[in-house]
Amino acid sequence: MTNLALAATEEEKMERFMEKIEKGIKIEADDWMPEEYRTTLIKLISMHGMSEIMGALPEKEWVPKAPSLHRKLGIMAKVQDEMGHGQLLLRVAEDLLKPYGKTRGDLMQDLFTGKLKFHNVFHAETRTWGDAGLIGWLVDGAAIITQTDMLNASYGPYARALHRICAEEVFHAQHGEAIIMALAEGTDEQRAMIQDALNRWWNSLLVFFGPAAKETLGTSKQDVTIKYKIRTKTNEQLRQDFFTKYVPRILSLGLELPDKTMHYNEEKEVWVYQEPDWSELKAVARNEGARSQARLNLRRTSYQTNAWVRDALAATIS
Amino acid sequence: MSEKTFYQEYEVFSKRTPSSGFQHQFSLLAPNEDMAMIMAQENFMRREPVADIWVVNRKHIRGMNEEEKLTLNRLDNKEYRTAKGYGYLKKKWRKYEQQMLDEKEIMSWGGKKK
Amino acid sequence: MSNAENVLSPEYKEALKTLLFQLADDDFLLSFRGSEWLGLAPHIEEDVASSSISQDTMGHAAMYYKLLEDLGEGNADALAHARPAEERKNSVLAERVNGEGYYLETPEYDWAYAVVRNFFYAQAKKVKIDSLRTSSYQPLAETAVKVSMELYYHLMHWKLWFTQLLSSTDEAKRRMNNAIELVMKDFGDIFSYGNAKDAIEKEGLIAKEEELKANWTERMKPVFESLGMEVPAIPAASEKNGRNGEHTEDLTEALTTLSEVYRLDPAAAW
Repeated sequence: MTNLALAATEEEKMERFMEKIEKGIKIEADDWMPEEYRTTLIKLISMHGMSEIMGALPEKEWVPKAPSLHRKLGIMAKVQDEMGHGQLLLRVAEDLLKPYGKTRGDLMQDLFTGKLKFHNVFHAETRTWGDAGLIGWLVDGAAIITQTDMLNASYGPYARALHRICAEEVFHAQHGEAIIMALAEGTDEQRAMIQDALNRWWNSLLVFFGPAAKETLGTSKQDVTIKYKIRTKTNEQLRQDFFTKYVPRILSLGLELPDKTMHYNEEKEVWVYQEPDWSELKAVARNEGARSQARLNLRRTSYQTNAWVRDALAATIS
Repeated sequence: MSEKTFYQEYEVFSKRTPSSGFQHQFSLLAPNEDMAMIMAQENFMRREPVADIWVVNRKHIRGMNEEEKLTLNRLDNKEYRTAKGYGYLKKKWRKYEQQMLDEKEIMSWGGKKK
Repeated sequence: MSNAENVLSPEYKEALKTLLFQLADDDFLLSFRGSEWLGLAPHIEEDVASSSISQDTMGHAAMYYKLLEDLGEGNADALAHARPAEERKNSVLAERVNGEGYYLETPEYDWAYAVVRNFFYAQAKKVKIDSLRTSSYQPLAETAVKVSMELYYHLMHWKLWFTQLLSSTDEAKRRMNNAIELVMKDFGDIFSYGNAKDAIEKEGLIAKEEELKANWTERMKPVFESLGMEVPAIPAASEKNGRNGEHTEDLTEALTTLSEVYRLDPAAAW
């Protein structure tokens, strides 16, 4: 192939790259990119993808138990989507990992060894059918807030995957709302079920958005991701958006906020709330959440039990 | 990792209706094209109508590298290639009391008796 | 439907209901087993693809339960969730566990068994559906036309897995052959109408058992021939005939799981 352009120096490449980022021109998988951009994306997207794969499990626990034909079908389709989102995101991560010679199998191993993390909300227990509804409603609600913030991410393949994902999240949100609505309008026991779920999930929901500032935990990826226009809002802005969208809805259904001190400060235009217990984040980072090990065990068992299938498929390559 | 893998990348394209063109959807991992085919629709088109599907092993796609993409740039001086360069005809035809056969008019002829 | 219901003779209606329960329970139990697999398939793309098949299948069950509801048998959800094991009419094959272990703990599910069971079942379902398209009960014939539409994909999907795994490693072949043996052991009641055989066959609701068996074997032949194998013989009868409410412990456990939330309050809206 003839060299049409003069060989660019690293600085020139970096300059051209940042110019594209500034102009909003998408970066594609085979474009030149600085190492920091690639590693940030890999970390972000592989964790996002693996969180979908692991996040399918807490709801999956309720798939065979869903209380009607319609609910069984709805939650099956929803969990199927989570696996599908994992597929999309892992494909994006796998293409970024090419220069390192790593594949999906390596990502699975990283998950099993604890090197690759998954989101805090998926380490929690799902105790009742109310939890299945609450995940669809509020956990997906929180995920929609963070994911729509990245719809215009500078990395093209990620932005395109997110467009597919967010389109399906609309169904997820409604699926969750439908379960919650039926319970909210149901018997006392059913109402108690969702209040109990809300109480147990509140801390995790707040922690989900990450610490407001670096100081809270000592690390934060938010600055780098904003610099490269992968996301636009800070953790705290996203958490505030979540409150704005969901607190009125929670209250309208007659549910009580687990945080009794919570209120909206009209003057400062912010929600004032009690800091969540951040130790949860540290525990799940070590895979020491309530269900971390059980879910990893489930994923590992199925992965290993099926290893012969992948070997067999390797023999059918053509 | 020394684990033997079957992972080959297939790009998936689909047509929404029999008359539409193929559109790129996404990519998936499969060991061969038949497996790629049986997974394509449910992975990427579960909620929309599909009239046809193509799966293409990525190794058979000849793409452009960053330098080659530079060949795609051109000057904005080629009005002579487009209807835009002939817009003055509209006024001219008016002098002859005729309407201009513009794009909208010509594209409306399909299948109709003139 | 209330109109049709009025003109059906009691014998006809009884035979029809029995057949509908067989069809509904088969699809319901098999799709329940499919839902246990969700998230645990050997490959992520396959997880997504096979879940669609489970959803289709449960959708078919819902259509049959709805036909029963229209015949005055009660609410479709109650029919799916509240009937005890001895009233269930599904084949034993449809209720069998996916492998060792409960789905919430350490499930060591057998993909070879999943492939063989689903492929053999899909082919059996296709043979039945083709016959049901001309059923004497019009609403069932109409349902069969709809169900038939989705079976093309189910068959193509499982047939490909079946042939590819049987053309791959020695271990895969060994596992697949074990699975074929296991599945065929339970195949004796797939085409059985149980004690209702004469009543069902007499009313022109669906073809005779023997005819369906022959059709299944005929359709399977090219697949097995391409693999240099012979189509296994369908046993004349199995140890238990699910059509007569004879079931294994697997069904009892499945019903406990699938109705756990429903039973908290069967009268509530969920």
